[in-house]
Amino acid sequence: MTTQGPHYAVLMEYLRGGAGDLSDRLPPLLAQFKARLEDGRLAEAAFLLRQAVRPDLDYTSAQSLVRAVKKLRSAGLEGPKPLRLAVLGGFTTTQLCQLIDLYLFAAGADVELYEAEYGIFRQEILDESSGLYAHKPSLVFLAVSWRDLTHLPTISDDRAAVRAKVQAELDEWAQLWRTAHQRLGCQIIQNNFEEPPWRALGNLEKRHPASLGRFISLVNHELAEAAPAYVTVHDVDHLSAAAGRWNWSDARFFHHAKMPCGPEHLCTYAHSVASVIASQAGLSHKCLVLDLDNTLWGGVVGDDGLGGIRLGHATPEGEAYLAFQQYLKELRLRGVVLAVCSKNEDAIAREAFEKHPEMVLRLDDISCFVANWNDKAANLRQIAAELNIGLNSLVFVDDNPAERELVRTLAPEVAVPELPEDPSGYIQALEKHRYFQLVSLNAEDIQRTNSYKANAARKQAQAQASNIEEFLQALDMTGLVQDVNEHSLERTVQLLQRSNQFNLTTRRHTAAQVMAMMSDPAWETTTITLKDRYGDNGLISVLLARREGRALVIDTWVMSCRVLKRGVEHLALNHLARQAARRGLDRLRGEYIPTPKNILVKDHYASLGFAPAGTDTDGRTWWELDLADWTDRPHFIKETATDATA
Amino acid sequence: MPLPDEVFDVIRDVFDDPSLALNETTSAKDVDGWDSLMHINIIIALEKHFKVKFATAEVSDLTNEGRNIGSVIEMLRKKVPGGEP
Repeated sequence: MTTQGPHYAVLMEYLRGGAGDLSDRLPPLLAQFKARLEDGRLAEAAFLLRQAVRPDLDYTSAQSLVRAVKKLRSAGLEGPKPLRLAVLGGFTTTQLCQLIDLYLFAAGADVELYEAEYGIFRQEILDESSGLYAHKPSLVFLAVSWRDLTHLPTISDDRAAVRAKVQAELDEWAQLWRTAHQRLGCQIIQNNFEEPPWRALGNLEKRHPASLGRFISLVNHELAEAAPAYVTVHDVDHLSAAAGRWNWSDARFFHHAKMPCGPEHLCTYAHSVASVIASQAGLSHKCLVLDLDNTLWGGVVGDDGLGGIRLGHATPEGEAYLAFQQYLKELRLRGVVLAVCSKNEDAIAREAFEKHPEMVLRLDDISCFVANWNDKAANLRQIAAELNIGLNSLVFVDDNPAERELVRTLAPEVAVPELPEDPSGYIQALEKHRYFQLVSLNAEDIQRTNSYKANAARKQAQAQASNIEEFLQALDMTGLVQDVNEHSLERTVQLLQRSNQFNLTTRRHTAAQVMAMMSDPAWETTTITLKDRYGDNGLISVLLARREGRALVIDTWVMSCRVLKRGVEHLALNHLARQAARRGLDRLRGEYIPTPKNILVKDHYASLGFAPAGTDTDGRTWWELDLADWTDRPHFIKETATDATA
Repeated sequence: MPLPDEVFDVIRDVFDDPSLALNETTSAKDVDGWDSLMHINIIIALEKHFKVKFATAEVSDLTNEGRNIGSVIEMLRKKVPGGEP
C-alpha cells in the first residue's frame, strides 16, 4: 500500500503537533479520511485512522474517531478474526467499550463485544443462562471499581477483623473467576481497585488498620498474589495515581452517568485495557531502536568528541540523559531487545559505549548495532531482518523530527513516538504508549537478550566448523521434552502469542485453553527446552496435538527461530511418533495455515517426509505421515529426560 | 461568532452532521439519536470548547421536560466571559 499522497502531509501535520489539543488538527485528517472512504480506498482510510489514534486523545476527538471506525467497518473493511470479548461492568462501560475497541483497532485487532448492563456482573457470571454465556467469550473483562467492594471495614474493626474482610473480599472475586473460567475456559482481566482521593483519616489513612485506603491497598496486594495464570490484574489504581486522584475521579460524571472516571481520562483507561488485550493477542512490540546523538546523550559525538557530549552528573541535562539510559537499561533487563540505529561513523559511535565513563548502556546491552550513513528506514529493515522479527515489532526513538517523519513515511509499520525537545520528558513520552505490555515475565524473557549474543557466538563457531554435522555435534546440545506443566504454562502461552515465523497454524491459544488441553486425555501437550555449550536457550518449542480417529493431529507447532536448523524439529517429530505409537495410532496429520509471516515453514511437513493430504481454498494445506515403517529421525540432541507421565 | 451559533456548531460536531437543523427551541427529543450517552458527549464537548464546568444539577437539568438548547445557551452566558449580551 502506498502511504504517499495528499493525505500524507495532513497526517504528518497531525503527528508533528505533539500532545495537547487536537481540535484543530484532527478535522483536516478526518476530511482526508472521508475522501478516501468515498473513493473506496479502505486500506488507506484505515491507515490514516490507525495513525490518528494515540494514547493521549481527548474524549471528544476520540468520539469522532470511534464514529470514523464505525463507518469504515460498515463500508466493508475486512479486519482480522475477531476476539470474543465480554465486558462486565460495575459502572457504565459504554464509552469505555467504544474506546477499547478503538485502541484495539489501532493495534490491529478486532473484537466481537458483549457488554452487560452495568452493575450486574455477579448475576451474569453466576446465572448460566445469562448473555455472557450465550456470547461464549474467550476473554472476560471485569470492569469494576472500589465501589464494588462489599466487605469494607468499619472504623472499630481490629487488625484481625480487617484481615478476615480482605480474605472474604478475595474469596468472592476468586469464586467469580473460577465460575466463569470453568464454564467458558476464558481468560479474565480483573481490575484492581483505585483508592478514592479523599481520606477520612487524613495522614493516618495508610497506618490505621481499618481505614478504607489501607483496606483497598491490602485487597490489591492480595488480588495480585492470588490471581491464577488465567487472570490478568489490570492496574487501575496506578492509572488513577498517575493522573492524580482528584483529577481522575470527576465525581459529577459518576453521579450523573456512573462513569468510572473523568471523561478526559477514559482514553487512558481504555488504552491501558486495550494494551493488555493486545499483549495477550501477541501484538506487543519487542524491540526498541535507539538513535544516539541527542537521544542517548546531549550533543553530537562525531563533532563534540567523547569529552564534549553531555551525559552524566556534570550538568542537569546530562543527568536527564543518564536517567533515560537507566530507564532503557531496566527495559532491557526485563526482556525488551535494544538496538541502535544512528547516523555516525561506526567506530566513533561504539567508542562512546566502550569508553565514556558515565554510559549506562554498554555494547553488551545492544543486540543489533547499526551506525552508518544510510537512510534510517533501510537500516530499520536491516535490523528487523537480523533480529528475525517483524518491522511492526520495532519502536523507533529519535530526537530528530525529520528522521521520525522519514521513518513514518518509508517504514510505516514501525511505531514512532513523538519526543519532546527536553530529554527530561523522554521517559514519559515513551511510557505513555504502553508498547511493551507484559502478561507475565519469566526467566526466558530475562535470558532472551543474552541469547541473541550467544547466538552470535554460535554463528562464529558455525563459520569455523567445516560441515554442519561437525558443528551440531560440537554444540553439545541437550533437549528436555516434557508435557506442559504448571511451571512451563506461562512461557508456553507466551511462545504461542509471540511466534510468527516458525508457527504452522498461528493459533493463539490462551493460558485457559492450554490448561483445558493439559487435563484432556485426547491431547498431547509438549514443550522442548534446549541447552548447549554456549548457554540455556530455555523453552523454545511447543507442540499441541490431539487424537482424532487413528491419527494424532498436530494443532499447533511453534518454535523459536533462534534454534532453527539445530535438529529440534526432528527431536519433536520423534517424540510425536512415539506418543502416537503409545496410543496405538498409525499416522500423524499436520496442517499449515499460511500467514504473511510464516512462509518459512511452508514446506515444513514436506521436508519431514509427510505426504500432501489436501489443500483448502484459503491456501491451508494438510499433510500425513504413515507411521507403519517409522524410524527415528537423526539429530545431535541428547534427550535428557521425558516427563514421567508422558 | 454569536454564542448560539457556536453552541449549534459544537452540537453538530458531536453528531457528526454539519447540516443538523438546530435552534434555541430544539430539545433532546427533537433530535434523532440524542440519548443519554449523546447528552454526556455534548456536555463534555461544550465544557471543552467553552472551557467551563457545568454543575452536577445543571447537567441533569438539561434533560428535564421543557428544557432545550436555549437553556444551555442561557447557562453558558453566565459562565463564559463576555457571554452576557
